[in-house]
Amino acid sequence: MRSLKFILFLALALTPMAVAAQNARLHFEKLNGLETKARDVVEVNIEGNLLAMAKRVLAKINDQDAKKVAQAISGLQGIYVRSYNFEKEDEYNVADVDEIRNQLKAPGWEKLANVRSKKNNQKVDVYTMFQGDKMSGVAVVVSEAKSIAVVNVIGPIDIDLLMELSGKLNIPRIDIETDKKDKKDH
Amino acid sequence: MFTKKKLLIVLTLSLLTFVVTSPAVAAKPNEYDLIVRHLQTKYQAKKVHIPFMWLARFAVKVVRPAGFKSFNVTLFEDLKFSCDKLDLEMQEAMKNSFSPEWGSILHVRSREGQQVYMYMRDAGSNIKLTVVTIDKEQAAIIRATFDADKLAEFINNPRIFGISLDDEKTDNKTIVKPKDDGTTQEKKDS
Repeated sequence: MRSLKFILFLALALTPMAVAAQNARLHFEKLNGLETKARDVVEVNIEGNLLAMAKRVLAKINDQDAKKVAQAISGLQGIYVRSYNFEKEDEYNVADVDEIRNQLKAPGWEKLANVRSKKNNQKVDVYTMFQGDKMSGVAVVVSEAKSIAVVNVIGPIDIDLLMELSGKLNIPRIDIETDKKDKKDH
Repeated sequence: MFTKKKLLIVLTLSLLTFVVTSPAVAAKPNEYDLIVRHLQTKYQAKKVHIPFMWLARFAVKVVRPAGFKSFNVTLFEDLKFSCDKLDLEMQEAMKNSFSPEWGSILHVRSREGQQVYMYMRDAGSNIKLTVVTIDKEQAAIIRATFDADKLAEFINNPRIFGISLDDEKTDNKTIVKPKDDGTTQEKKDS
C-alpha cells in the first residue's frame, strides 16, 4: 500500500514536468491540409540520442560554422522542421497556416518578432516559450508566396544563433533585409 | 563398428546442417532487406548490378575511411507505381521495416514521385544510417555504419593511409617543403 502511494505520488509529481517539456512541441499533424496541396514536403526530426551524437561530433569539428551549430544546439532536446513548397503563388490557404498560429496562441507562447520582408513577400513570425525564466522552446513560421516553413525548437536557444542556422540543417533560409539608409540617416 | 560409424556420419551431417542453416533460420531480415523486398515485390523493381561492389565493400571494411566500417548500396530501376499511392505505401513500408530504435531524420516527398527517407540509430559508439531514395523509376538504398568520433577526426584532418586529402594542407606542404629544405641547407652552409 505504501509503495502504491509512493508510485502515485511520483506519477503526480512527474506529470507536470513531462507536460512542461512537451508544451513547446507543435502538432504538425494539423498541417495535413498543406501536405495535400504542396508540390514537395520536407520533414526533419532531430531528437534524442541522435541530437546528443550531433552535439558530440559537431563540438569536435574544427570549423567555425560547426562550432556555431554545436553551441546553438547544446541545450536542445529536439529540432523539428516542416517545409512545404507549392507550384504556384498563393496556392495554399492562410487558414492552413492558422492551424499552427492557433497553437502558438496557447498560454506560454509569446510573439517575439514578426518581420515582413518585400523580398518574395516573406513573413517571419518568431515565438518563444518560457518556463519561469528559462526558455523552453522557439517556433518560427516563415511564409512566402510559394512556400511555408515551420521550425520548432525544443529547449533554450539563442534567437540570433537560430537565424544564423537558417540555410543549415534543412532550416529554411531567412532573408531579413535591414534598411541601411535609415540607419545612416539616424 | 559399422553402426557407430554410421551414427557418427549422421551426427556430423546433422551438426553441419544445423550450423549452415541455423543462422539463415534465426536471422530476421533487417530493415534493409525488408525495404529491398518491398521495392521488388510491390513495384517490380529490377536490381541494377554494380560492378566490383564486393571489392569496394571489402576495402571499406579494411581501410575504414572517415570512420566508415561498412556500407551497402542497392540500385533499382523500372519501378512501377502510382504517384498518388506511393507516399502512403512507402510510409507504411518504412514504419513496418524500421524498429523503434531507428529515428526518422529526414523525409522528403514530392507529387512527381520523388521520395527520400533517412533513418539513423546509434549502436554504441557507432551510428547506423539508412537512406532510401526514389526518383521516378529509379531507387537507391544505402546503408552505412560509421564511428561518429572517427568521422569528426576525419573532417578535421582528412587522411587515408597517411595521405592528406585536404587541398589546402597538401598545397601548403608542396610550398613549405622546399622552403624547409632550403633553410636547413642555409643553416648548414652558415
